[in-house]
Amino acid sequence: MLKNYLKLAWKVLLRRKFFTFISLFGIAFTLVVLTLVTALLDHVVAAYPPETQHARTVGIYFAELRGEHSRRNGLAGYALLDKYARNLPNVERMGVATMASGVFSYVNGQRLKSYLKRTDGTYWQILDFKFLEGGPYSDADVADHRMVAVINDATRQRFFGGQPALGRTIEADGQRFTVVGVVPDVPILRMVPFSDIWVPHTTAKSDSYTREYVGDFMGILLLADPGRIALTRDELWSRLRTVKPDDRAFERLSATPETMFDFLGRMFAAGGRGEGGGYGRRLELVLALAACLFMLLPAVNLINLNTSRIMERASEIGVRKAFGASSSTLVGQFVVENLVLTLSGAALGFLGAALLLQVINGSGLIPYAQLQLNHRIFGWGVVLAVVFGLLSGVYPAWRMSRLHPVLALKGVSR
Amino acid sequence: MIRHVFRLIWNRKRTNFLMMIEIFVSFLVLFAVVGLAVYTADNWRRPLGFSIERLWTITIDMKQTGDDSFTEGQQETVRQLLLALADFREVEKTAGTMGAPYQFGSWNSGYQWHGRRIEFGVAEVTDDFKDVLGLEIVEGRWFNRDDDGQNYDAVVINQDMRQDLFGDGQALGQNIANDRSPDDTEAVREKRVVGVIAAYREDGEFDGERNYVLYRKTMVGTADRRNRPPRNLLVKVAPGTGAAFEERLIKRLQAVAPEWSFEVSTLASMRDTSIRFALIPLAAVGLVAGFLMLMVALGLLGVLWQNVTQRTREMGLRRAKGAAKVDVQRQILGEIAVMTSLALLAGVLVAIQFPLLDIIYFVEPHVYAIGLAISVSAIYLLTLACAWYPSRMATRVEPAEALRYE
Repeated sequence: MLKNYLKLAWKVLLRRKFFTFISLFGIAFTLVVLTLVTALLDHVVAAYPPETQHARTVGIYFAELRGEHSRRNGLAGYALLDKYARNLPNVERMGVATMASGVFSYVNGQRLKSYLKRTDGTYWQILDFKFLEGGPYSDADVADHRMVAVINDATRQRFFGGQPALGRTIEADGQRFTVVGVVPDVPILRMVPFSDIWVPHTTAKSDSYTREYVGDFMGILLLADPGRIALTRDELWSRLRTVKPDDRAFERLSATPETMFDFLGRMFAAGGRGEGGGYGRRLELVLALAACLFMLLPAVNLINLNTSRIMERASEIGVRKAFGASSSTLVGQFVVENLVLTLSGAALGFLGAALLLQVINGSGLIPYAQLQLNHRIFGWGVVLAVVFGLLSGVYPAWRMSRLHPVLALKGVSR
Repeated sequence: MIRHVFRLIWNRKRTNFLMMIEIFVSFLVLFAVVGLAVYTADNWRRPLGFSIERLWTITIDMKQTGDDSFTEGQQETVRQLLLALADFREVEKTAGTMGAPYQFGSWNSGYQWHGRRIEFGVAEVTDDFKDVLGLEIVEGRWFNRDDDGQNYDAVVINQDMRQDLFGDGQALGQNIANDRSPDDTEAVREKRVVGVIAAYREDGEFDGERNYVLYRKTMVGTADRRNRPPRNLLVKVAPGTGAAFEERLIKRLQAVAPEWSFEVSTLASMRDTSIRFALIPLAAVGLVAGFLMLMVALGLLGVLWQNVTQRTREMGLRRAKGAAKVDVQRQILGEIAVMTSLALLAGVLVAIQFPLLDIIYFVEPHVYAIGLAISVSAIYLLTLACAWYPSRMATRVEPAEALRYE
């Protein structure tokens, strides 16, 4: 039965090539845009090396100080992580790292801009970097304030012309570091592993960061059992409730261990607070809504085209109805036909998206971008295409199925 | 004639209703994008008020978050930095400011003033700022020593704000302070207008802020919230000064303040970045909208084409009864024009809700009107262009041929 539908669908598509082209163009274009957005989002939140432990990793990213009149939020401060987030239950390891920030170096009268991240030694045990040269620095190195650095491949290229960099020194933000390791480039979209240069956090010019509750650090927690994250979260919350901020404008400090996606949701939600959860769920809803809104115009367009093509097939419908096909059978048939159409459009859209991603990678618009399609994005693409196919196919199919057999057989509108 | 067209549309209401929905949604999409583009273009053409020639900015990172706990030590260090800068023969003038032109992140404020809400962009600058940036005074004077130790804060406002607040009346000497303080705990300090400048749009060409208030930064006295040390030092360098000087500059500053970090940028490069950041999203959105419109155009063409083929007999009958080709074509185009008008009527009704409900208060009415006009004409053009070929096709129907079908 399905085979017959598919055969029919194929014949119909070939019958009026211009119409088929218009439909495919609309579908493919819609899915190119949606696939691009999905691919970008996937590269921000999903597991890519060196985050091989991604499924077990959560972060303490967002922190908030709140008082009656004022509120300050941002990334977590070092003091919050060091004093209150160590030895939480269900946590195997915690690493800390700053957000990568821009620093300048002067090499032979030339200015080079790089990103620098300050971390502890555990950071390197949680993230699975494949070292091209040397290795990471350890917690002991961090405790000793050693001026050592790990750099990425691009930085090695820029500073040392691609020559081995081990043991050579690199100057950044007026400080000199000895290179102990070289790692491959990580795209800027990956907030936790991305940087050009990594150095021990204790090499910071001033130790004022060690007293901050809200600052520019993130805690990276490797959970023993990700299913029991509530245990970790509740303990952190109860510890933070005991904090009395020195600054009298604020009464309480809050932060939550969460996935990157939840964090994005929290940043996105206006007035997102330090405590509480479910922001990821909310973001999912917003994204789904946005996708549907974006599909609205293409869908109306396709509905229009589909309905106006009904009449072309009036006699076919008439014959089938006269021989006893029920409305629901007909609806089923036309929905399947439309799904075939949308899925072929989606396949084209995928090719287009793959090409566009290559262009984006090559343009340098996103530093070190390695955007590609993968099975996850493909899966989402298929889901989106099916939603789109149903959205644009059901109404025309329903209209078709309601044609009166006698009129249809006569070919009312030829 | 019009009534007749309406009846024709009503007779095929289902198909036509769908088409009208499509036109309606297309209009809303197009209007959003065109409105954004017009808003951007309108900002672009307004005067900037300053010149960035040979200007560098040094951004200071004092290694602290938050805005409210500054020390007099920090103020002293900034004064030292400015002195160190003045020592270089490559440096012509220096000034301190909270935010530099074209820098990301802007500072806006708003409160009740004389019973109405006023919104404005804020800049905190030192006395040398005017000369470094080449601001033009149009009324009153710039900050000077006379403002020291007064029982009011001297402020300079821009001409747009002067118009907004005082119209043609007196602006100098007026108080623009908040009607009451946010938490009613302290008396509100007077903010006295001492001068009016032509313009100062801190975020550059795409700055949408109309009103600006400039506060005076002295770097003496207690470093409280009102008198915090500047984050940026602006430097006017001598002609011909290149990037090589930058390294020496940074070394010197680093020696004065070893715990801080500095970032030097030319305002020209910051301007490039700021323009790119404003235009890339606009270009991306424009591209997507363009493709959407192309898709809609092709779709409408297909649907209208199909309609005309279905109505072959009707056209044939009209031709047989003596209607000229032009009449048939006019009928098809008339139908689509009426449908477009109905859809646009609904679209415009929706679109004008935004300014009426004050949702996008920062967009001037004329910008909104221009955006609306462009979108409406573009949609008419689009639908009529799509109907052109099908309407020609309708005229090619041979009456005898068409009637034979019956």
